[in-house]
Amino acid sequence: MSDAGFSAPRSLHPASIVLGVPLRQLIQGLVFPALIGAGAGPGPRFAVVVVAVILLVGGIGRLLAWQRFRFSFDGEVLRVDEGVLSRNHRALDVARIQQVEVDRSLVARVLGLATLRVETAGGSGEAEVELRVIPERDAVTLREALRAGKDAVTGAAAATPGGAVSGVGTADTTEPRDGREVVSMTLGRIVLAAVSGSRLLVLPAVLAASLQFLGDASELGGGSLDPETLGRRILALGIVGIIVLLIPASVVSATAVGVLRDWDWTMRRVGDDLHVSRGLLSTRDSVIPLARVQLVEVQRNWVRRGFGYAAIRVHSAGGGDDDRVTIPLVRDTEVDGLISQLLPGVAGVPMLRSHPTGARRRAVFRWVRASLVPTIALLAFPGLVGELRALGIVLPLIAAGLGLVEYGQLAHGRTDRVLAGRSGALSVTTGLAPLVKVQGVTRRASPFQRRLGLATLTAHVAGPGGDLTVLDLGEDAGRQLHAELVVAAADPYLPDIVSRQRRTVTPGQLW
Amino acid sequence: MWRVSGAIGLLVPAAVLSAIGVVLLGRVGVAVAVLIVPLSVAFVLWYPRARYDRWRWRLTDLAVELDRGVVVRQAEALPYFRIQQIDVNQGPVDRLLGLASLQVTSASASGSVTLPGIAADQAPGVRRVLLARAAAAVGGRVDGVQDAV
Repeated sequence: MSDAGFSAPRSLHPASIVLGVPLRQLIQGLVFPALIGAGAGPGPRFAVVVVAVILLVGGIGRLLAWQRFRFSFDGEVLRVDEGVLSRNHRALDVARIQQVEVDRSLVARVLGLATLRVETAGGSGEAEVELRVIPERDAVTLREALRAGKDAVTGAAAATPGGAVSGVGTADTTEPRDGREVVSMTLGRIVLAAVSGSRLLVLPAVLAASLQFLGDASELGGGSLDPETLGRRILALGIVGIIVLLIPASVVSATAVGVLRDWDWTMRRVGDDLHVSRGLLSTRDSVIPLARVQLVEVQRNWVRRGFGYAAIRVHSAGGGDDDRVTIPLVRDTEVDGLISQLLPGVAGVPMLRSHPTGARRRAVFRWVRASLVPTIALLAFPGLVGELRALGIVLPLIAAGLGLVEYGQLAHGRTDRVLAGRSGALSVTTGLAPLVKVQGVTRRASPFQRRLGLATLTAHVAGPGGDLTVLDLGEDAGRQLHAELVVAAADPYLPDIVSRQRRTVTPGQLW
Repeated sequence: MWRVSGAIGLLVPAAVLSAIGVVLLGRVGVAVAVLIVPLSVAFVLWYPRARYDRWRWRLTDLAVELDRGVVVRQAEALPYFRIQQIDVNQGPVDRLLGLASLQVTSASASGSVTLPGIAADQAPGVRRVLLARAAAAVGGRVDGVQDAV
């Protein structure tokens, strides 16, 4: 199909000699030798020489690397040749691609360049192929070519137009090229998402700590005003002041980061792919084929739960940790609709059944056990003030309370297409794994669980996003679910999902 | 034969580990060592046996299944359709005893099944059986195959 002139080997844009180096690596590579040079050698002039030599050697290395780097795409296989001393040739079958991303950093945008990242379900967190940097136009064209190539191989769109049936309905052949917008974020939501984001969950802890200091400070002020007490008092007030200033500062910076990162956040459905674009200064376009979605998580931390909001994370099998796609903020009422878009054929979060009462004891036990170490440390450590000791006594009680809260949230459910599990006390996560993506099942039970008639079940899915774990469900329910999942995983034959992937797979080509 | 050799195969590393542990703890105090030594000997005598007794794997119609664990019991299942890779491993102790372990991996990072203590000359056979079943699971529905990932 359209290989758009990529079949002949190409090199990257010359600017990649400079832009190809990640900033962090550059700083690490320069600052440490410079510091060591300045410290050990005869003064700052030596450091300048060291930096110059490193820059020169690094520059020559980059130049050679750029000269050696070649990539090509012939409609089926993406080939990359690289390496100065040890050569590396890679060939990537287009059918194995899990996720494609186009990144534009600020500098790259000014120069009209972009980074194209192609990910497969490899074990490493790094992208399988990273073209850093190529002209933006080429990046977009190549992405389209990869998609067209994939369609040609899977034969979904081109070969069998009538068979291009997705789980929710017939894929619209007259669909606009830009696709259909699934969800987008207004500025207000992005700000709200940033403010209610998980990083601010430390706020209560910071507040409590500052109150503790405040308490100490006021106590100290009661006695005689000898210089030493006065000094400690000023110090305590200073710390409180810094903390009080830090809180709004962290809110502002989190908001700024969130707005810069998620500006104009839009998710579109183009054919059978999800396109997500975001970012103000540096932008990122990700493409995830719907058939590659391994796990969807609905996350509600305590702030968001209070206001009726949630975030939705979409895990594919490719990519590192931060390459997962997260819908920053959606209303609770929108969750089911979005899930039906992300997981075709799934109407929403299925009916969840709560777990047997034995799970309550274990939830409390788990939380109290987690609080045991700080508690013992607080109680046994000599020379602590009374308030801290009191905290040591209160801590297990708080933990027990959280355990009760978590038991209220523990639940699981399944339909003929999806397995769902919910857990968490303050931050509640509901995971949904399509049954066709379950790779294997593990059921485990500790002695304590066995006595309470409980088991924990893990459905393994591909990718770095982790697995779906159903915590503390009943022993019999666990055994039954285990057996059902094995059958579903062994024979993921679902009529209307299969019909859109008409394709023969040879045993060696499982991906 | 698998039984006996499997037990030995598990016993040897356990004995080595506990010996190191005893040596390190002996420095802390003789009293501790006096307590620890009989306990660890008992543990070494009992645990591998118990672990071995609990370690059961079988090939069902659909999946490789493995039950294991003395304290925390685990039941793992990996359907043939999802098998991505099968490794045969032989450590130095394994080679000494003529054993091998088989590791069956799926696309998931965490969902792999390990079958230790298989007689070395039989491991390739087990692997062939697994590969054949994996191929059959995939080839069985050529008309409308679903990708495994």
